[in-house]
Amino acid sequence: MSLYPQPHTQVFNSPPYPAQGYGQPLIPPTSYHYPPPVQPTFHVDPQTFRRDYTTRLADLTVNSRPIIQNLSMIAQEYSRYAEIVAQCIEMHIRRVPLWMKLPAFYLLDAMSKNVFDPYARCFTPLVVTLFIDTYEQVDPSTRSKMEEMLLTWRTGAPNGRELFGVVPQVAIERHIWGGDTTMTASSSRSGGSSSISTAQVLSELEFVLSQKERTLQANPYDKLAQNHVAVLQQLRKLVQAGVSQEELNQILTQLRSLAQPASSSPPPVPAPVPQSYSTASYSVSPPSYPTPIDQTMYPSQPAYPTASFSVSKTEPVDFSLLVPQPTAASSVSATVSAPSAPASNIANLFNALVRTGVLSTSGTPTGAGTIAKTEEAAAPAPPDPEKEVAKVYRKTILANKLKLTSADIVRQRLNVASLLYKRLPVQCKQCGVRFPDGPKGRKTMEGHLDMHFRQNRKASQAVSRGYSRSWFISVEDWVHDGSIDIKGKGRADGRKINSSAAAAAEAAKREAELRALFVVVPPGDEAKPISCPICKEILKSEFLEDDEEWVWRNAVRRDDKIYHATCHAEATASKSTLAVRLRNEVSSSRSRSQTPEKQILRTPPKVSLSFSGEQRKANSPSPTTPMGMKRKADDDASNSSLETMRGEPPTKKLAVSA
Amino acid sequence: MSALGLEHEGKPNPLGSEGSSAVHVRQWQLEPETEYRFELDPGNSLAIKLVDGQAEIFGAELAEGSIYVFGMECKAAVYTWQGCTIEMTSTEYISEETPMNAYANVHLALEQMRVRALRVIHGSPPSDDDEADMDPNPEPPRVLVLGPENSGKTTVSKILVNYAVRMGQDWNPIFANVDPGEGGWAVPGVISAASITAPLQTSSPAATLGSAATSAPVHLVSNELLPLSYWYGHAETRRNPLLMDRLIRNLGENIAERWDADAECRAAGLIVDTPASFASSSGPQGDHRHALIKACVDAFRINVILVVGHEKLNVEMQRAYGNRISIVKIPKSGGVVELDSSYRERVRKYQLQNYMYGKVIPPPPGLSALPYLQGGEQTSDLTLNLAPSSSVIMFSDLVIYRIGEETMAPTSALPIGAARVVSEMQPLIVDPAQPGSGLYNAVLALLSPPNPDESERYDEEILDLSVVGFLVITALDIPNKRMTVLAPGQGSFAGRTAIVGSFEWQE
Ligand SMILES: [Zn+2]
Ligand SMILES: [Zn+2]
Repeated sequence: MSLYPQPHTQVFNSPPYPAQGYGQPLIPPTSYHYPPPVQPTFHVDPQTFRRDYTTRLADLTVNSRPIIQNLSMIAQEYSRYAEIVAQCIEMHIRRVPLWMKLPAFYLLDAMSKNVFDPYARCFTPLVVTLFIDTYEQVDPSTRSKMEEMLLTWRTGAPNGRELFGVVPQVAIERHIWGGDTTMTASSSRSGGSSSISTAQVLSELEFVLSQKERTLQANPYDKLAQNHVAVLQQLRKLVQAGVSQEELNQILTQLRSLAQPASSSPPPVPAPVPQSYSTASYSVSPPSYPTPIDQTMYPSQPAYPTASFSVSKTEPVDFSLLVPQPTAASSVSATVSAPSAPASNIANLFNALVRTGVLSTSGTPTGAGTIAKTEEAAAPAPPDPEKEVAKVYRKTILANKLKLTSADIVRQRLNVASLLYKRLPVQCKQCGVRFPDGPKGRKTMEGHLDMHFRQNRKASQAVSRGYSRSWFISVEDWVHDGSIDIKGKGRADGRKINSSAAAAAEAAKREAELRALFVVVPPGDEAKPISCPICKEILKSEFLEDDEEWVWRNAVRRDDKIYHATCHAEATASKSTLAVRLRNEVSSSRSRSQTPEKQILRTPPKVSLSFSGEQRKANSPSPTTPMGMKRKADDDASNSSLETMRGEPPTKKLAVSA
Repeated sequence: MSALGLEHEGKPNPLGSEGSSAVHVRQWQLEPETEYRFELDPGNSLAIKLVDGQAEIFGAELAEGSIYVFGMECKAAVYTWQGCTIEMTSTEYISEETPMNAYANVHLALEQMRVRALRVIHGSPPSDDDEADMDPNPEPPRVLVLGPENSGKTTVSKILVNYAVRMGQDWNPIFANVDPGEGGWAVPGVISAASITAPLQTSSPAATLGSAATSAPVHLVSNELLPLSYWYGHAETRRNPLLMDRLIRNLGENIAERWDADAECRAAGLIVDTPASFASSSGPQGDHRHALIKACVDAFRINVILVVGHEKLNVEMQRAYGNRISIVKIPKSGGVVELDSSYRERVRKYQLQNYMYGKVIPPPPGLSALPYLQGGEQTSDLTLNLAPSSSVIMFSDLVIYRIGEETMAPTSALPIGAARVVSEMQPLIVDPAQPGSGLYNAVLALLSPPNPDESERYDEEILDLSVVGFLVITALDIPNKRMTVLAPGQGSFAGRTAIVGSFEWQE
């Protein structure tokens, strides 16, 4: 099925658009501009322009690529009339019959993505109501196309972010798919939990599945993608059969962390020159639309891959030593017949061969002589690629003859700029962080973009009482940060995967978020004791001065019961749900996730956040009394953690108001 | 098309939400190896966008096309190695005289030390074309940055750390800040260290060295730092040099332990930023600074001392340490501006408020409709506003100490080893019920719990406990023995210990 249904009347007496599909970049993808319009026939007078543009819009009765393109080009040329164009399009969409609305939305989409500035900005104030109003009117099949378009807007801006900003994006998504998926105080306040529709989950599932399928199609040997596709297909069946709200919620969270904002294209065969990874290899990456691959359909426009990567302008490499050497990896890979495998896989493969005795590190065949001999001839002790890369880098750095003296420091002129810029040509457009070229760097980049997307999502679902500064971690956690899993580091954006301090901080973060949740006490129930069904403790109520209402703090409402937010989260995490199974299956092979959520939830935070400890007496008479003696330590309460926390009285006393 | 999305040269902005207010946007070409410097007045903000080429601020690269917002009297410079075009909402001046080449060379020399150290850790053979690479025991760089007031020590330290993390080698150097007058990633009054893995951003002096972690989602790891901090409690090192000395050694000990646990972290090295008092030989406090420099050299196992633009200090250091430490004098940037004490006062206030409340810098008028970055964060309005928690607790809930007597003659007025030394380090309990306790609006450091093993406890243990957060006492109700405590987040303080210093909270 194409997003551009075949028109009943052929436009221009030819297929409505060329076979490569509407969005295929016709121009170098680092630029978002169309070539100048072919027929610049407009006068500069705004009134004339408005009239003319409106007239031309009237031609947009079907999904015609030439018409959309032409209207885009005109709009770009006359970007000083962007406001007028935006008004014309809005008016057009609101006026035309239902079957003509979608093509006009494709125009809006195309202009916002391809011209971007100023059009995305012009549409931002009106896109929410325009989208929702239209969506409410159209038939289910048009709706699903609009939903697909909406998903691409998440990362449609050139910097890989929401095309029209986080707030409009979330506003539309909330309207269409119902409430947010995290349980915030505001949602519990508005009574009961918000619900997610099966349709939304399926829609997002299709989106992710199509991403993974394309990855697999491009690289059929990608085990990870195979695994993903299999799991997702299973999951689709389950969701279609019907699952609980809770599970929907978890599946959605999982899906969103799986969805790649970046291209999911497989790594091309490593080549020795960095230019081979230029924008071209990104721009041909598969489209990011959830529909089956149909090269003629409109949305094959790879909105974000091109936008997300910027590759430094390739000049002749004058500092060849500084270029990381994928050559080493590729020559090795040839010998072990896994030509397109990334370096780390080669290492694994090599190790596996050594273990099975097929290869020998010493150069002497260890196992069956003849086989080993031929292998050995082909691959004389392939070095650890990681080490090779490190060696090349070391050579590069040490090649600079430089002394750490006052005189040498000011006299020398070395090409440090190449080290900082040219050597790392893949750059994140959002934050400026750079990565080396080649499959590994690009994979890191994908994970990095994924992180940006997730952080923006989280930010848009802000907890109602806001965020707060975290308590600092303990000395023990600080000292042992990073020592647990040294292999886990290795991300150029500095995010470690498995460091204990980071995990502790994450746990503290999560804990703080949970504790900030509250449920408004129904009027008249202030004095009624309610206990948490899990720990049986009485929920403490307190008075919020700002909002002038009574609330239960650290509380969530589920199925008309009030739980401690912390108890409920713990209980949820330990249950083996469908989503947990999915998570285990998927994330075990996945390297780019950060601290896995299940770990956060299961590990009780050992951070200083839990202020337990003995009640100490401080009854000294004068303001400054020497401490003198060793303090008497009645520290039976030193077993910190949640248990003690829960029993403690609320810290915000109500008496202050008087 | 204007890259900031605005018309050039003061034409009315057709799209800005402010309607009539016009924004002046200028485009500047920076020649290679020049920098654009700016200083903001209180209440002003500035937006900068890299239109073309490559540029960095104190070693952190700018993403092309993103709008960066600066505020709160920020003073900074956009430097370019290869030339660039930037757009901004106001102009200051462009300088062709920068010490960046020298700083970059220092970085390269430090990087050589790192790769040599890492080679040994990985057990790789030495390269035959590098003599120093044959050293069986190469040391990673552990750098002490010294310099007088307004010499740009912090800037140099930041550039060196940022360049290290930008090498793509997964370096995680440790940045130690032993200048208690500078809050760095948290609040002033601490001696602190953090492992840095992503470039430290510059947007306001409220967060000069990135930012300690919050519960908000962030995009840059340098905005969720996990520092190890000890509370000194004052801005001036001369106020209690003995305590400074002890805290420096505590910090050094824990860094060393971390290095024992993580050899790669050790190879990445350490950069130590110091207070200007370490360099000023004038005044009666000349002596304690040598003791504190010595404390740093010992505690952090310093093997490189960088002296920023100060010949006399350079000679001093050569004399004292030249036989075992590389002493390098590096030029001072002409862009460093003289900062008066009232500016420093305001910055401390910004830092304290930023710790509790965060701070969203309002973009220049006319820009509010566009997405922009503050300190590298994309949705500053959503994630950089923090909600501290205010609660009323009983006096007896929290044990508060002050270190040393309140009115104390300077150490230098006493002979070395005199009796006064004892009381200078003595923890004294402060009773909030007593008038004149000095607790109202005072900034307190909440300490981590003491050793649970009673047999391990000792007098003065609280001097060696790290900080878990900072509190402010915003109200004292003596008749009812209650006080209102502002804390960064939720939590109970029952049974906890805090130390008060000399910083006062100002709303
Ligand atoms: Zn980024
Ligand atoms: Zn409970």
